[in-house]
Amino acid sequence: MSQRRAASAPRQPRRLGVVVVDPLGIVRAGIGMLVANADGTELLAEAATADEALRAIARVRRSRVVVLVGLGLEEPHDASWLMREIRERYPFHAVLAVGANADPTSISRALFVGADGYVDKRVEPDEFFASIASVGEREMVLAGPTSGDVGQIADGIYRRRELDAMLTQREREVLAVAAEGLTAREIAERLGVRERTVTTHLGRIYGKLGVGNRLAAVRMAARSGLVSVGTPE
Amino acid sequence: MDGAAIDLFVFESDPVLEGVIRLAAAAAEGVGDVTVVTTIDVEIWSAPRPTIVVLDLAGGLDLSAVATIVEHAPLARVVVLSDRDDGPVVLEAMRRGVYGFVRKPDGLHELAETLTQIAAGERVVPPELERSAVDELRRFARQAHAASVVETSITAREREILALAAEGFTTHQIGRRLGISPRTVEAHIAKLYRKLGVKTRLQAVARAATLGLIDLDT
Repeated sequence: MSQRRAASAPRQPRRLGVVVVDPLGIVRAGIGMLVANADGTELLAEAATADEALRAIARVRRSRVVVLVGLGLEEPHDASWLMREIRERYPFHAVLAVGANADPTSISRALFVGADGYVDKRVEPDEFFASIASVGEREMVLAGPTSGDVGQIADGIYRRRELDAMLTQREREVLAVAAEGLTAREIAERLGVRERTVTTHLGRIYGKLGVGNRLAAVRMAARSGLVSVGTPE
Repeated sequence: MDGAAIDLFVFESDPVLEGVIRLAAAAAEGVGDVTVVTTIDVEIWSAPRPTIVVLDLAGGLDLSAVATIVEHAPLARVVVLSDRDDGPVVLEAMRRGVYGFVRKPDGLHELAETLTQIAAGERVVPPELERSAVDELRRFARQAHAASVVETSITAREREILALAAEGFTTHQIGRRLGISPRTVEAHIAKLYRKLGVKTRLQAVARAATLGLIDLDT
């Protein structure tokens, strides 16, 4: 190729690749348009489920892209699962959680499972776009949450660490299932263990957390983001 | 001005700064009487009406005092007055639930402005401080994430060995304590290195301590 041409027209820096994952078509369309119409970004793929997203990301031939993950993803794999998977399989990709008025605990959970930031759908398009660009630059982004929320988000992560330090992995699993309101027998069935084992675990969990009953234990777990109570959005 | 003025309680041992806070309170809108306190008296603040509590961190208090006040007196709006404004301090203050963060060099006008906004029910943290708190949050969240990944991958035995290595025991000593051969200990340690992404025992201990997997103080 001619050197002269290379010198007079330096190659354009590659645009930032973006993958949009959201269960709602209208949201994918809106964000997709924003990304496709902007100068610095390029829409690489969109997906409606977590599994579809992983397949799409596997096809992407880029070392670093930004994946926007809607917190409204649910069965069979939710947003937390997807963010954890991306973080593990593609450590160089950036993950930006996207929610609508998400509570601080949901944001804590997103950051805890490996998101690089959170952007709320209620922010102005300019700010939304700036968030994508910042997260592409390896900065952490919190667009939408207030000062008070920042403190609560940090507190959620802090509590989660505390809870993790106190409970074993098995105990956390038991607590997470218990939070769904199942009986000891139902929890045992779900986890494939005996009912006695579950009651032993629960007793030990209460002791470690210093609480007297399941409700108090579940409340601590919810404040730490270990379990989600209510909807993510 | 609508509604009753909000009373201000000040934890401040420096008479000059106390004077400055009084001036700021007088200049602020919506702020009523000023009372200087010398102890953290949650009795006063648990009154069923909002109060503003100004805490000077130089007066022998740490940020856990904020949590104590917020827990016992949910209507109290705590403002921290600090010499330090690095990310960890600001984030910790925000995590504990402060309404405002004022740096001492910011001066009288800033303080009066902050008190006015807090009396109106807003939270006030200067934008550049919030930025450094968010940077700190990133570090904190990444570390928490890394710790949880490692935590789910290491076994109870490996953790035991890590704790003994942190206390300075040699491979042989660890083996004797746990009733296993030194070669088995070494095999466990090799696996730990891989999971922690380190190459030496010292690095392994340091990394584990950073991630909160072991506690070096005890």
